[in-house]
Amino acid sequence: MNLKATIGMETHVELDTKSKMFCSCEVVETDEPNISVCPTCLGLPGALPVPNKTAIQYIVMLSLGANCKITNEGMFHRKNYFYPDLPKNYQISQFDFPVGVNGSLEIVLDEELHSVEIERVHMEEDTGKSVHMGSGRIDSATSTLLDFNRSGVPLVEVVTKPVISTSKMAVAYIEELRQLVIDLGISKGKLEKGNLRFDANISVANEDSNELGTKVEIKNMNSLKSLEKAIDYEIMRQSKQIKKGESVIQETRHWDENKQVTISMRTKEGSADYRYFSDPDLPNMIIDEEFINNSKKNIQNLPTDKRKTLKESGLSLSDSNYLDKGDKWLYDLYLSTVENTKDSKSTFNFLTGELQGQMRKAEIDELPDWVDSEKISNLINLFETNEVSFTSAKDILAKLLGEDIDPKTYATDNNLIQSSDDEEIKTLVTSVIKENQDIVERLEDPEDKLVGFLVGQVMKSSVNKVNPGSVKDILLKELFG
Amino acid sequence: MAEKIPSISKINELFQNKEMKPSELFEQVYETASYTESVLHAHLELFYDEGLKLSKESDKRYKKNESLGLLDGIPIAIKDNINIYGYKTTCSSKMLSNYVSPYDATVVTSLKKAGTIFTGKTNLDEFAMGSSTENSAYGPTKNPWNPDFVPGGSSGGSAAVVSAGSAVASLGSDTGGSIRQPASFCGVVGFKPTYGTVSRYGLIAFASSLDQIGPITNTVDDTRIIFNEIQGYDSKDATSITPVYTKLENKKIKVGILKELMQEGVSNESQNEVNKVVNQLREKGHDVTEISLPLTEMALSVYYLIAPAECSANLSRFDGVRYGIREDASTSYEMMNKTRSVGFGEEVKKRILLGTYALSAGYFDEYYGRALKVRSKIITDFKTAFDKVDFILSPTTPTPAFGFGEKTKNPLEMYLSDLCTIPANLAGLPAISIPTGLSENNLPLSVQIMGKPCSDYSLIDFAESIEEMVEFNSSPNLLKENSES
Repeated sequence: MNLKATIGMETHVELDTKSKMFCSCEVVETDEPNISVCPTCLGLPGALPVPNKTAIQYIVMLSLGANCKITNEGMFHRKNYFYPDLPKNYQISQFDFPVGVNGSLEIVLDEELHSVEIERVHMEEDTGKSVHMGSGRIDSATSTLLDFNRSGVPLVEVVTKPVISTSKMAVAYIEELRQLVIDLGISKGKLEKGNLRFDANISVANEDSNELGTKVEIKNMNSLKSLEKAIDYEIMRQSKQIKKGESVIQETRHWDENKQVTISMRTKEGSADYRYFSDPDLPNMIIDEEFINNSKKNIQNLPTDKRKTLKESGLSLSDSNYLDKGDKWLYDLYLSTVENTKDSKSTFNFLTGELQGQMRKAEIDELPDWVDSEKISNLINLFETNEVSFTSAKDILAKLLGEDIDPKTYATDNNLIQSSDDEEIKTLVTSVIKENQDIVERLEDPEDKLVGFLVGQVMKSSVNKVNPGSVKDILLKELFG
Repeated sequence: MAEKIPSISKINELFQNKEMKPSELFEQVYETASYTESVLHAHLELFYDEGLKLSKESDKRYKKNESLGLLDGIPIAIKDNINIYGYKTTCSSKMLSNYVSPYDATVVTSLKKAGTIFTGKTNLDEFAMGSSTENSAYGPTKNPWNPDFVPGGSSGGSAAVVSAGSAVASLGSDTGGSIRQPASFCGVVGFKPTYGTVSRYGLIAFASSLDQIGPITNTVDDTRIIFNEIQGYDSKDATSITPVYTKLENKKIKVGILKELMQEGVSNESQNEVNKVVNQLREKGHDVTEISLPLTEMALSVYYLIAPAECSANLSRFDGVRYGIREDASTSYEMMNKTRSVGFGEEVKKRILLGTYALSAGYFDEYYGRALKVRSKIITDFKTAFDKVDFILSPTTPTPAFGFGEKTKNPLEMYLSDLCTIPANLAGLPAISIPTGLSENNLPLSVQIMGKPCSDYSLIDFAESIEEMVEFNSSPNLLKENSES
């Protein structure tokens, strides 16, 4: 029996607005509890919500970025459930008229493009935070403290259709969505800060079946790594059960990071009744053409556009996707550098391998301001044309990250320019062959390790730097014809 | 000592001419409150010290001829579901018995700026749910005209204090008639403005799409003055509007008599008041016709689905977690459960259950969904009606005030006392109740006038002309007895 998995993702994106969704409290990043609260976000009697226009603009931008159809008259609904950190004991959310519907996101898996269909993009407000004292878990806590700084922070929920088939695809989708919100400038997109929080709905069914299996919702995955592992684990768990002839229970499970397993949280008997109804405190959201056009003005250079530009520069799809998902400065540096080097692959390798590697090692987060695409492209051109060795190029780069030098001048001044003068090399080769007759006799073929030794001897005997590639070429020609 | 309080304009004249000081008026209404309170129980709290202090500040302003306007130094009582910074707002519920508001409602801010003196907080049916003030967790308010009768509700306290003279005016809130019905029972003027013209920020919500704050006063002019101060767009209330008020061009006014509120279910006494006014209007040359809005008969049913549905969510926040009373328990859910069981009274629980049911999966379409549809038809019907008439006239209540306990056993009969007032809430219309006469057993009777949205000022003007016509000058027995002694 061949089984297939079907995955749908629900992702909450925390918007990077100055103030909260329904009040003017500042959105703060702090451990000091309850410092940014007011009657509205505390749910005090008589307080009323007033929508944040910027947040609505952001959600329209996200909907457009995810190729959704915009609902021109969106509605706010109340989602009713009791929880101590939900101040009104209902959450303002959207039900039947979400801002965006029927969209899609293009994602990259290895060298292939895939499309992930988006079912809906809707707005809601965040809850407060419960801090369980004594144990960290609600069931064994000695007391619980509440922090309402987060209460009312605007969230967007992006829900995919059940169209994802592997954990890798789910990860690629989240990476794409994360990049989209960063490039739109509507969220900081930091997973470690909880700016993006995702749940996965996973079902496993017979490969030939047209129907989906029983849906299990997985929560508490805090990183892309745990997302990947949790999905893989869950697919395995459900597959095992199905193969044993047991049925999968519809439920919500919790990813346990320590044990690396999913654990049952609660069994859903049908779905919870949230008694959604239109919030009488909030008029409908009128999103007209003008509002949409204004939102469009703020949208430029999205991940798909960036990928297209990168591909046109000559990079492979996966390399394009890598740069697309990286820092903005690296993307910009690559594009301006490759203008001068004309060699996309070597530029990509040098920037993502050497430059990023050395910066990491030197613990530099930002490129020093004297390092520009001109210097980097000059440096790449130096070793590409064999004027300096790759080793020298690496040394020059290290120097460049520390102080403002001109790569070419530095190479010349420090004797790093290697000679490619064949006549000079030929003289050196001839004398080395003479001096090492015993070794030359033991040589069997051009692949012999001893060739390397002889190249080394030539390099050593040279006063000027010579290009080891040229030395090897000439040496082999002398020895094997 | 007690005498009928003059109108706000008259008081202002006295203040301006230095014939009376705001602090003297404050002392006068406070004294009235002190001796009427033992009978009426209209207040939950009186603000003597603060009120006296503020009225003396007002004295100084008048002395320097720097008064803030017509409302400077006017003592006004506030229904106890409207927040005043630093004071308790209990909603007459045990749940909020210890709740002190950390902020002012927008209407309170407006009145403070105008120099108004708050006399105290008035009694109401718990969370404004009721028509007699019998649902207050702190005991009922009595009708100043006869303490054996209810003052109406839910703003029973606010109507009683104006009627008894322990405040010049008061603010109430009206969700299905809660300003107009008690105003009618107590023989004073009660006005529910167009939905959205007065900010709801700081009014503890019962049913958000129906709730509206409004004044209860002795005269229609007083209503105009207070409405003028509290109306207007408020950025803190998303349902608040920037009103563009309509004006009446014609001297000859077209009045519609709503047939559905002039038939069985409405007492002859109440109908007679309307007929009396109709005759006088016709004498003045106004055009009075009968109109029919058949859906009005469904208004009560629609209301009792929409209002409980909204209240079931609005009252969820009272859970013992952040404020109000808290019952100890071993888990947070158990704590919320116990707190809500102990904190809410029977009527409130009944409506929360009703609303929760109406919104539940499987019942939503049949109940709440259908109610919304009928409501939007009612709105359309009124719109069509107002193409033909300027105002709609009806009784305010089917009967004059009823006795204590008379309707508590039969909730449906209690709900029927809002029969005539509910349609205006469902359609968001401005509606005013003005006293026109007395019943056989010497209790006030009123008529209600409804206008189209944002016709508030012309409605007030028209009501004032009726007020002049009917010359209702009676005052409650309580006042007479006390002035005789």
